[in-house]
Amino acid sequence: MEEKTDVWQGTLALMVLKTLETMGPLHGYGIARRIEQTSGDLLTVRYGTLYPALLKLEQEGYIRAEWGVSDNNRRAKYYALTASGRKKLASEALQWDRTTGIIARFLGPSEAAS
Amino acid sequence: MTAIRAFIARWRGLFAGEHDDRDLAEELQAHLEMQIEDNLRSGMTPEEARREALLKSGGVELSKELYRDRRGLPAVEALLRDLRNTLRLLRRNPAFVAAAVASLALGIGVNASVFTLLDQLLLQRLPVAEPHELVMIWSAGESLGDDRVSNALSYPMYQDLQRHSPALSHVFCRFETPLTVAYGGRAERVQAELVSGNYFQALGAGPAAGRVFSPAQDDRTYAGHPVVVLSHQYWVSRFGADPAVVGSKILVNSYPMVVVGISAPGFFGLDPARSPQIRVPIQMKPLMTPGWDDLGNRRGHWVQVFGRMNPGYTPRSTQASLEPLFAQTLRAELSEPALRRVPQQYRTRFLAQKLMVEPASKGFSETRQSYATALMVLMGIVGLVLVVTCFSVANLLLARAAARQKEIAVRMAIGASRRQLLRQLSVESLFLSGAGGALGLLLSFALTRMLLGFWSVEGTLHGLRAEPDWRVLAFTAALVLLTALLFGLAPASQTVRLDLWSTLKEAARSTTGSRGSVPLRKALVAAQVALSFLLLAGAGLFVRTLANLRQADPGFRDIGNLITFQVNPALSGYSPKRQQEFYNRALDAIRSLPGVRSAGYAMDPVLHGSGAVWDNTISVEDNAGNYRENAVVLTNGVSPAYFETMGVRVSEGRDFDGRDAAGRVQSAIVNRAFARRFFPGRSPLGKHLRFGGPLAGPAIEIVGVVQDSFREGPREGVRSEVFLAFAQLGFSNSVSFYVRTPLRPESLLGVVRREVGKLDPAIPLYEMKTLRSQLDATLGTDRLLAALSTLFAALATVLAAVGLYGVMTLVVARRTGEVGLRMALGARPGQVLWMVIREALSLFGIGLAAGLPFAYLLGRCVSSRLFGIAPADLGTTVLASITLATVVVGAAVIPARRACTIDPVQALRQA
Repeated sequence: MEEKTDVWQGTLALMVLKTLETMGPLHGYGIARRIEQTSGDLLTVRYGTLYPALLKLEQEGYIRAEWGVSDNNRRAKYYALTASGRKKLASEALQWDRTTGIIARFLGPSEAAS
Repeated sequence: MTAIRAFIARWRGLFAGEHDDRDLAEELQAHLEMQIEDNLRSGMTPEEARREALLKSGGVELSKELYRDRRGLPAVEALLRDLRNTLRLLRRNPAFVAAAVASLALGIGVNASVFTLLDQLLLQRLPVAEPHELVMIWSAGESLGDDRVSNALSYPMYQDLQRHSPALSHVFCRFETPLTVAYGGRAERVQAELVSGNYFQALGAGPAAGRVFSPAQDDRTYAGHPVVVLSHQYWVSRFGADPAVVGSKILVNSYPMVVVGISAPGFFGLDPARSPQIRVPIQMKPLMTPGWDDLGNRRGHWVQVFGRMNPGYTPRSTQASLEPLFAQTLRAELSEPALRRVPQQYRTRFLAQKLMVEPASKGFSETRQSYATALMVLMGIVGLVLVVTCFSVANLLLARAAARQKEIAVRMAIGASRRQLLRQLSVESLFLSGAGGALGLLLSFALTRMLLGFWSVEGTLHGLRAEPDWRVLAFTAALVLLTALLFGLAPASQTVRLDLWSTLKEAARSTTGSRGSVPLRKALVAAQVALSFLLLAGAGLFVRTLANLRQADPGFRDIGNLITFQVNPALSGYSPKRQQEFYNRALDAIRSLPGVRSAGYAMDPVLHGSGAVWDNTISVEDNAGNYRENAVVLTNGVSPAYFETMGVRVSEGRDFDGRDAAGRVQSAIVNRAFARRFFPGRSPLGKHLRFGGPLAGPAIEIVGVVQDSFREGPREGVRSEVFLAFAQLGFSNSVSFYVRTPLRPESLLGVVRREVGKLDPAIPLYEMKTLRSQLDATLGTDRLLAALSTLFAALATVLAAVGLYGVMTLVVARRTGEVGLRMALGARPGQVLWMVIREALSLFGIGLAAGLPFAYLLGRCVSSRLFGIAPADLGTTVLASITLATVVVGAAVIPARRACTIDPVQALRQA
């Protein structure tokens, strides 16, 4: 348990968008579970972080929320990606790829060694 | 885009209700339960599953809090909460709110009001295109000519400048004069401006209807452009904004002229204080001022010349570029016949004249010059009043803060941060000053109208607006912030230093609240005393100035028994000859009225202020028969019996009489000051003087000497003066009649008006009043300063007294135990009384000591408005001190008497 990290604010939004793209409409708990699982249980998503982040994405118009019924007949709020959310995800993913690429090049084996 | 969208969503979130909170709770609950179910499925006991789920999700309440912060705008929410709190608190103290808001409204209102005038008259640039490019051009020095208008040049000189000035894109000129407009059977006197054809172009002003003047159409033919442009305001007020007026004919000075257009609304020309109602091409000058042409006369200086600089030029470089032309023109003028015989010393001085080019982005206003000091003094006074107001509101707030300390301590104890409390206090202060500012703005509107009504003598300020514009709004907003800061700081600092523990302990047992605020409140009261002293001393100076001005001997006897009025037949198309007949007949008609002792007239009115007075360069014959160096003396044209009417004794020689009825000017009467200056110890009778300096005009014999009297008013005092027989001047000019009566002058006003009206009903009589009222009108600014400074000083003193009363009440309440002990030990009531009053007097002493040096400094600042009194006048200082001391003792007596009636037994038991 100790080695689990809290998810970082900036990346959470991206993860949420990606999750919704892969899984389709999902409730908050589902999103949290999915992120944790995908991270190989290295991340913990607390709802103090998750729900404000969801609200922020909703206010920005990237996702849409509506009440629905879960698999075991429980009332739950379902979040779904909007068109602008899809666009945002694409651009953010590209941006992230680029950033990680650069960082990877810095941290990778030094050029002298190669 | 996204950010705006999110902001709108959050703004809506501000108004989230219970419904949204329930939604969130349900969502979080669902989350928790799904987690528990998953945990159960993975084989935990129900207990474990629940505990694990709760641990994992973090605190539910904290999450809700974080969620709410994201939902709305926390800063705005806090502000709204503070505002609600403020309103609730203030509702509980209506008396406090009323007192604070009312004093702030008064303080801010008078400031906004004086600023409205000050801004328009002194600060604003002209509302024309690129005002910073405008300059005014005139010459300083010996001009050897007739200078009737300040800062003026001759018209030919203007034409020279216009032709050869690479630095200026436009050179234009103006001349201000009253004219008579007749239309639809009604004649009235209006303010007019004769302007060059390029006037509107140069200022970048267009028409609202019809056309404005252009150099091609309206500046070509001498006396050949009978056209008029009406100001928008005059078009609306006189012609009801009737578009059919454009193209129709009106009578100007009985001369038919066509209205070709209306100038743009809001365009007032070059003088913010007096905007002319009509404008006429300057080529019409001979018809507009009959008997005085001067369009081609290089010795007549009467046009005010302005220019618009080309890009890259400054006033200095413009002046440098015009200098050669100016010098060349002066040399050419010297060789003209008019100046050919001038002696060498005058030639040198004439050539030494300096061309002045000064920035004119604010236009040119004679009114501005005469009102500027008074306005700034007034601004200073009301500024002080505002500071006093702030101190007194601060004192009120402190008193309340003391009562609220328990509440604040409790709020801190349950977790409010100092920052939150300070924010709450700032919102309260801002709310009070904001309300005061809003009310003050409304008040300022009424106050400005009153000020203008009181101050504007004969329409001198009719161009000024009373309505606040955005600049006044900005000024008021700044005042609101400043006052909130000033009066909110003291109570806020108290709160920050609040010692939680001891306050709660103390508040539990004491009824008077904390003691911390007393020294601060005393300091505030001392400051109020100091400011009140400043204002009282200032008021003293202005009141005594006014008294001195009114009591100064004008040299005229019983000015309350003199009726005066003006007529100007030239504006009704009279020739100089017909005009003279009219004046003679009017004199006869008035003299034959019962109740009239004598009557006369003068060309320039007396006691009429320092506006336009006729002065002349003269040279005076000495013993050897040579004409001495020229000097400038006041000149006036008067009728026979003028001196008798005014009560000015002819001490030597004779008055004007039938011998001086017509023809050229042959005789002059001088006053004693003139005789003293030019003929010390000798009689001037039989000596001669010549007009136009050394220009060797005809010699005029001095036939009489009269006692000294004022011309402009008491401030200017007695000056050397030459009187000529008006009938011999041949001028076409308005005159002021003077009628002496032993009766109540009011009873005669109607009769005189009727009798003179019978001669020609088309000639209006204006400015009819007694000479005493005329003097009061001339002293309008001084009366205003005296009245307002007294009013404001009284206001400040009352505020200081109230503050002092509050503090002394608090002091007495605090010292109840001590007083009880003293009385138990044998102190007499008198001693207790004195103890309290002594404390009040010590505050007074501190305030006085702080105020004295400032009073001296401020006195020096206003010295130019004082008359017959030194800025550091001892009597005034002493009187102000005594007044203030009396008020202080008066305010302290009530709490002091309360201290005397303390029952020692009760007091000691409580303590």
